[in-house]
Amino acid sequence: MSGTTRAIGASTPRLDAADKATGRAEYADDVARPGMLYAAIHTSPHAHARIRGYRLEAARAIPGVKAIVTGADLAGPHCGGIIKDESMVARGKVRYVGEPVAAVAATDPETAGRAAAAIEVDYEPLEPVLSIDAALAPGAPLLHEDYPSYVKTVQGGGHGNVVFESTVEEGDVERGFAECDTIVEATWETQAQHHVYLETNGCVADVDASGRITLYATCQSVHHIQQRVAEELGEPMSRIRVRATRVGGGFGGKHASNIHSIAAWLARAARRPVKLVLSRMQDFEIQRSRHPARVWMRTGARRDGTILARDVRVTIDGGAYADESPPVLAFALLMSRGPYRIPNVRARGAAVYTNKLRAGSFRGFGNPQASFAGESQIDELARALGLDPVELRLKNAMRPGDTAFGGQQVPSCVLRECIERVRAAQRAAPPLAPRPGRRRGVGYAALSHISGLMGTAASVQLRTDGSIALATGCVDIGQGSDTVLVQICADALSVPIDRVSYAPQDSDSSPYNWKTAGSRSTYMTGRAVALATHELRAKMLAHAGDMMECAVEDLELRPGGLVGLKGLPKAVSFKEVALRSLFHSGGPIAATHGFVFDGPGFDPKRAAIHQLAFANLGVYTYGAHCVEVDVDEATGAVEVRRAWCAHDPGRAINPAACEGQIQGGFVQGIGYALTEAMHWNAEGWLTTTTLADYKVPGVLDCPVEILPILLEDPDPTHPVGAKGVGEISLVGAAPAIANAVADATGARVRRLPMFPERVLAAIDARA
Amino acid sequence: MSALARLHRPATVEEAVRLLAGGDGERTRLLAGGATLVAMLNAGLVDPAELVSLAAVDELRGIGTLPDGGLRIGAMTRHRETAADVRLAGTLAVLREAAARIANPVVRNMGTIGGSISFADPAADYPPALVAADAAVEIAGPQGRRRVPAREFFVDWYATALGPNEMVTAILLAPRAPGLGSYDKLYRVAGDYAIVSVALSVAWRDGACARAGLAVGGCGPRPLHLDEADELLRAGRLGAQAARRAGELLAAAADPLDDVRASAAYRRRVIPRMVERALAAARDELSRTA
Ligand SMILES: Cc1cc2nc3c(=O)[nH]c(=O)nc-3n(C[C@H](O)[C@H](O)[C@H](O)COP(=O)(O)OP(=O)(O)OC[C@H]3O[C@@H](n4cnc5c(N)ncnc54)[C@H](O)[C@@H]3O)c2cc1C
Repeated sequence: MSGTTRAIGASTPRLDAADKATGRAEYADDVARPGMLYAAIHTSPHAHARIRGYRLEAARAIPGVKAIVTGADLAGPHCGGIIKDESMVARGKVRYVGEPVAAVAATDPETAGRAAAAIEVDYEPLEPVLSIDAALAPGAPLLHEDYPSYVKTVQGGGHGNVVFESTVEEGDVERGFAECDTIVEATWETQAQHHVYLETNGCVADVDASGRITLYATCQSVHHIQQRVAEELGEPMSRIRVRATRVGGGFGGKHASNIHSIAAWLARAARRPVKLVLSRMQDFEIQRSRHPARVWMRTGARRDGTILARDVRVTIDGGAYADESPPVLAFALLMSRGPYRIPNVRARGAAVYTNKLRAGSFRGFGNPQASFAGESQIDELARALGLDPVELRLKNAMRPGDTAFGGQQVPSCVLRECIERVRAAQRAAPPLAPRPGRRRGVGYAALSHISGLMGTAASVQLRTDGSIALATGCVDIGQGSDTVLVQICADALSVPIDRVSYAPQDSDSSPYNWKTAGSRSTYMTGRAVALATHELRAKMLAHAGDMMECAVEDLELRPGGLVGLKGLPKAVSFKEVALRSLFHSGGPIAATHGFVFDGPGFDPKRAAIHQLAFANLGVYTYGAHCVEVDVDEATGAVEVRRAWCAHDPGRAINPAACEGQIQGGFVQGIGYALTEAMHWNAEGWLTTTTLADYKVPGVLDCPVEILPILLEDPDPTHPVGAKGVGEISLVGAAPAIANAVADATGARVRRLPMFPERVLAAIDARA
Repeated sequence: MSALARLHRPATVEEAVRLLAGGDGERTRLLAGGATLVAMLNAGLVDPAELVSLAAVDELRGIGTLPDGGLRIGAMTRHRETAADVRLAGTLAVLREAAARIANPVVRNMGTIGGSISFADPAADYPPALVAADAAVEIAGPQGRRRVPAREFFVDWYATALGPNEMVTAILLAPRAPGLGSYDKLYRVAGDYAIVSVALSVAWRDGACARAGLAVGGCGPRPLHLDEADELLRAGRLGAQAARRAGELLAAAADPLDDVRASAAYRRRVIPRMVERALAAARDELSRTA
């Protein structure tokens, strides 16, 4: 391999970067079709109300209106995730302010907007349920009277306003606590955070003469959207085609949306293409948020710092519809033990319905809520024990061969190294000058996450000139998977990456992929790409063996697309192999590999699991964060000065991309920790519907030094050792910052975001 | 949003005023930098039929020195220009610091001082700075020109002393005196409006305080200012005790709201703390430069 650099391990610039930087990349709003109509949505002004009827005459009478849909038009079953409790426009009831109630397609956006406003809906307002406590109160108004009759793919024992209940338990918690010398206990509260992708949700639905629909969408999976739209429109999936546009950020907020089915429905009704792109305000109002949560936690240890028991109760506020609440709850419980060896753990949780925007998946998926509590509590435990919080973490940290909560064995675990590396890096860094009126603090968090779940596939084909055509169903949502998957494929064939083409996602032709989610693309789809490419390589070598009349074992790949005879200059090119296969013998050379996550499942001998929304997940990754903060004594304002983030990407296929994920995740974590909060008023109106109200940290609010440290420990179950790093980097920010604030001031803030006001109150409340 | 009937580009203040007076009341609007107005148009919050652009009115542009050594800041002067003008030193530095803290470079390149104070967002940065510096506002209207002290210009939430068909033409500043000016801004994220801001302008001569101006932004319908607090500071030579008392007086007089940025109670709490800090920094600076 002399003279060439391997594709894996190179910080190759993103394949899509130049198109994005120069404005050539095509996003959903750039899609235009001849004769295209524009859709507008009529949304609910009530948090909770019964729909008595619609008056559509005025809207219909507006010239240019081509189609209208309301809940009265929907006849099929409800849709959704594990619990099928919703529909693209409300039926019978509205359950949050902003919920789509009707939609219009018209010849231009202004007409559509006027027509949507002209739709009259007769409501019977009901008492709204706006918090976890209100949802669980005896006699609380019910959001879903029909809950028992909904289709459920996993049973979760829902009742009243409870969507789902789950439990994970290992050991004997009561006995564990009985042996503890020190026990700490507290409750944490977290808020709704919005994804604030730069590009809002949007799509264009086109329809052909036969009525077949093609949807262009900014999304995280063409297959998932295809399935959802087909279900909602009562069409077979063969009649719905979904094509992904470039995606301007997703973060979990583009898995599903009402808009795809609405646009498709209107297009089918009008027999014309329909564009539906949400304004920023509508995206805030009707899309999704991170689950607000309440986490009660109790942890006990022996005097020497050995943690023996933890008891956890997680309640998440799912908003109006179940969506991803059951799996988010499940993952929060699985992460609530933290990356520690704790023999006795009980984690119980519930997701509840409230009359607010539905919460859904969001980078971290329940882990940020659980880890904010867990990692804060580790510091509080250390304080109660009189131990150094880093030493306490190291003492209890998981090691290779330990089991995760749920009982799966973990082969690769560099947690201790991560913790030690961030501590050493912070200590070695030149100290920042103290600033008058500010108190400096240092805080840590130790983390774990997963990167393996669900199913995926990849296909590779050899083209006439020896180029490779790679296709997967993995949509690049800005995290760089196009580049990384191409690197994996090119590396397996020792060709430069420009010899590999990568197909945009199209449900007609892309191999199946569940979603770009769960930090799984590099592990799951990357593994499929590697194995498909290995199969392709084997087929190519067989041809080459025939051509050079030698055994396959005597062949080797040579850089630049050659198969050579070991020890001899003799070689055939990929092109020659391709031409032979296409025109002489064997037929086109192609390979496909697909699999569903096959890691060790939960161990029923170790863990008692009740009603968990995940059957299997794994490929654990580990990390540690260290932050330095300044707390303004006068105002309580917190400023993050520097951060060190050590993570284990298994093998860094593209180190710059890994570092970008780590920095980006940490910045989104700063927003979660300090500034971002969706707020609903007493009537259930979302009051933070613009970026003037909802504050995402900007470049001046983040430290220049967010220093990623990559600790590569190749995962044995992945052909090139890769794991995921997309979400875990967000998870550590809030607890590390909270711990740094406590270090600086002695004040413990247990509610996010840590607004200056709350920090000041915590300083006042110091014992 | 209905179609805009007309965009006017008058070349003089008098012409602009005539266009205002000849228009249809609320439906005729002055357009300065457009940073606020265009955003409001886009959000459908205003629906003007006619816009009177001030872009071509030479008189409104830039910062000039007056015969008495004072400064005249034209209404169309961009925040960026104000933030960069070295003549805004000593007692007048408060204005320069406030300008530099407005929003972000894009808004500072577009927004104007006339637009900002006419809009009179109580969380904006210029209003407390102008009150602390005891500036005057020059106004033109159908009856000609008049002057109003900044302390009387801001009258209520988004309301000013501008009468019907009047416009701001300039900010007038007395010659700068030795001393200092400072502007401290507490915000949620950089570039946001203030949760609380503290503007201070101090004239200092021969070890004595000749004049102190202190104003607080973001804490009520208009910049919070008390003659009594200024006098306490002057007489107490900016001492810690005077600072504490001035902060307490301002906090007691404040009339903040609970809003998306913070609660009223929090604002009342931090006013004295930020005031004390501003004065501690001022004492520090004076002792270093004295
Ligand atoms: C994203 C963003 C962030 C911002 N952050 C801040 C901030 O942190 N601090 C801050 O102080 N400001 C902030 N602003 C406001 C900014 O300073 C604006 O520039 C200012 O409020 C308006 O100035 P303008 O020249 O753009 O006025 P325009 O938008 O053109 O006009 C504003 C209003 O004033 C009227 N008007 C304009 N000129 C005159 C005049 N000469 N006489 C009478 N009426 C007039 C107009 O008719 C209109 O009603 C922000 C604005 C934006 C868009």
